[in-house]
Amino acid sequence: MRKIVMVLLGVIGLLLVTTPTAQAEEPIKVVHTEQVQAGPYRLTVGFSRWPLKAMQSLDYTFTPDGGIRGRSGTLAVIAPDGSRYEVELARHPRQREVWGLDVQSLDEPGEWTFRFIIDGAQGQGTGELRLTMLEQPGPPLAISWAIGSGPLIGLIALIVVGWRRVRPRASIAH
Amino acid sequence: MDISMTGTRATDEVRARPRTDPKGLLGAVFVLGGAMMSLTGMVWDIQWHNDVGPDTFFTAPHLVLYAGSAVAGIASLVVVLATTMAERRGRPVDPTVGGTAVGVFGRTFAAPVGYLISGVGAALFLVYGLLDERWHRLYGFDVVIESPPHIGFLLAITLTMVGAVMVSAAALGKRWGEITTVMGLALLLGFDSIVVEGLNAFGLGAVDLRTAGISFVSVLPLVVGARLLGRPGGAIGIALILAALQALYWWFGPWATRLYADAIGQPFRDDPVGVPMVPALIPMTLLPVAALVGPLLARARDNGRLAMVVGGIGGLVITVTAAGQSMLLLGEGAFDELPVMIATAAAGTAVGVAAGFLGVRFAEILRSLAPAGEGR
Repeated sequence: MRKIVMVLLGVIGLLLVTTPTAQAEEPIKVVHTEQVQAGPYRLTVGFSRWPLKAMQSLDYTFTPDGGIRGRSGTLAVIAPDGSRYEVELARHPRQREVWGLDVQSLDEPGEWTFRFIIDGAQGQGTGELRLTMLEQPGPPLAISWAIGSGPLIGLIALIVVGWRRVRPRASIAH
Repeated sequence: MDISMTGTRATDEVRARPRTDPKGLLGAVFVLGGAMMSLTGMVWDIQWHNDVGPDTFFTAPHLVLYAGSAVAGIASLVVVLATTMAERRGRPVDPTVGGTAVGVFGRTFAAPVGYLISGVGAALFLVYGLLDERWHRLYGFDVVIESPPHIGFLLAITLTMVGAVMVSAAALGKRWGEITTVMGLALLLGFDSIVVEGLNAFGLGAVDLRTAGISFVSVLPLVVGARLLGRPGGAIGIALILAALQALYWWFGPWATRLYADAIGQPFRDDPVGVPMVPALIPMTLLPVAALVGPLLARARDNGRLAMVVGGIGGLVITVTAAGQSMLLLGEGAFDELPVMIATAAAGTAVGVAAGFLGVRFAEILRSLAPAGEGR
């Protein structure tokens, strides 16, 4: 038994020691940019993938001319059906000198709108960027979900087998 | 997979075993330990994504997650191989070690049914881990729980935890079997508080499915625990263990995230969530519900009707308080609209009723794993 414990502990140790852990990430590779004029502020929006496809996540960078120092703002993300959510403009975790969104996907194809409201020394400015989201890549989502539900189907099968093998009792015998 | 019963020989020696007999404890500890590593890895990983961000296949929280399934899977494999060897040599196979042995691939392997399930769960975790890598290549490193491969491997871990509960239930005649059963059910409840996040994939319609779902995954283990042990402590123990884990993770998640971020020189987000995420998802009103479920159901001579009533009440309490908890801690307004609130409370009550009924039956099925005279 002691041997088994030693082997198990050895395997776990090897797993932990030999696998490389994550290092701090490299800055984002911007492959496409768009310009937005938000009142007095000119904003460059960078994308780490282009064209945009539904469900495919990417990094967005938002860089005002003159930098983000002394400025703040919000971004409203408006879906093709009009539903929306709003976030404070925050520094991108892997590129701290600009605002951004890290590994974000937008799930519906169609026309999305990014509405920026920027505050700074020159007052407040609002600007919009319209983005066309193409159809999602990969197999239809229903197939992916059917595969993802595999263990649940296995669990239900296990319950069915147990249910049929064990007869119900009206009470517990003590 | 071809599975058949191999007819285990339970000897007089097995039946006469004292309640302190440690045989089978080591395997159960490893499978449970693996399950706990999986939960700990999830706690850390979710906190990391919310407070810091960047993701790769080999982050430290991911390693803990992978190691959890590896530990449970290797332990399951070792027990299955040992059982197979014992059977081939004509030695009696002890059904208190993981339950009755079933033949796998004809009679190539003799696998105690509990370890078979925990091992299959661990193997499936590996398969879904690879599918997840493929998914990330196609769609990028989306940081959401509710993607098909994520739900696939979360369900695979759930299967491993179900196996751990089966392994423990097979040893219910022993003191340690009772303790590991309660621990296994507590881990299952804690972990499934994360898995039900997958229901968010259906969107927020007339019912908040995630909040209603939390009722099911809470009531079910409490009822199973009370009935399996035949004592109120079966349910109350689950709530107490989970409360202790919740407190531990409340500290651990943010601490480990800070430690790891500092170690690799990665700054925190400008807008971290700032709340320990997984402990915030685990219901905080389990103890009063367990205090209701335990005494009322542990020894009830009833085939499910009382359990359905108690389950419904418990489900309603958990649904309403879980929604309040989300609103308070995470700022999620699941109950913003009155019609959604009423529909969700009704759905939570209904699935609580179902969980009460199923819990009684599942306890009977699990109790059948222990050799006659050993389980309660």
